[in-house]
Amino acid sequence: MSTIGFIAIGAAVAALCCGIAALSMSMATGKAVDAIARQPEAAGKINSSLMFGLIMMETTAVYALLVAILLIFVLGAA
Amino acid sequence: MLEVKIIPESFYIGPINVGHSVIMAWMTIGVLIVLLVIGRLFLRKMKDVPTGFQNFAELLVESMYNFAHSKIGEAADLAAPLVMTFMAYVFCCTFIEITGVAPATEDINCTLALGICSFLTVNIVAIRYKGLKGRFKLLAEPSPVVFPIKILTDLIAPCSMAIRLFANVLVGGVIMQLVYMAIPYVVPAAISAYFNVIHVMIQTFVFGLLSLTYIGEALGEED
Repeated sequence: MSTIGFIAIGAAVAALCCGIAALSMSMATGKAVDAIARQPEAAGKINSSLMFGLIMMETTAVYALLVAILLIFVLGAA
Repeated sequence: MLEVKIIPESFYIGPINVGHSVIMAWMTIGVLIVLLVIGRLFLRKMKDVPTGFQNFAELLVESMYNFAHSKIGEAADLAAPLVMTFMAYVFCCTFIEITGVAPATEDINCTLALGICSFLTVNIVAIRYKGLKGRFKLLAEPSPVVFPIKILTDLIAPCSMAIRLFANVLVGGVIMQLVYMAIPYVVPAAISAYFNVIHVMIQTFVFGLLSLTYIGEALGEED
């Protein structure tokens, strides 16, 4: 297999992290909805901590995308 | 072929090395200043009962202040205007992408500078409201063993913010370019509504929220 093929596989594996981040986001949101259903008066606090967690998860997904893009455009172009 | 520049292009004006993003950033600052001057001229006299444009301005400022107050309490007096300035700058810098030019925040130097500004804001606000001693005391909680780790966490925060903003803007641009390559008609207009408008708003909100969260952590208050 050519070098570019290996690079493409590497980028695809790196981008798999996006799926994992999506799974963790779904878990966190589900738990937060559960918590809000149980205690609607705490919705504000739950929402703000949920936002913070979601941002952190989204960051990992974006890092994975960045790694994939760097692999393709920096390694692939060289 | 896609155009992705990790290292931004630069050119020389005389002996000074100038990047594309520097020009975009200064243009953004110019636009913001012009907008502020126009807004100030519109609001020559503040009325007790706000109408029209003053309503809008008060809505923006008040919602930002209330949001900051709910996160960091009293320190919002000092921090809210600063954070709102960052947010306005980030929003305008990134929103330029809708015209097709590369935005300033697509350069990691710009976002790193923003991260450092936010880091300085965190420390200045914390020292102003808790004192230098209180700041260090809070870093050594719950036991002095965690002091170096907490210092590291604080120092990494601006880098993390910088890479987050940079990567988000870059990835948005790359996805838009891919869409333009795949289907050049109609569809990009719909997708650009998300990637050039809503995505930018989300990133701006995230930047402000993270700044406020770090300030709240440095102040040691429960939000």
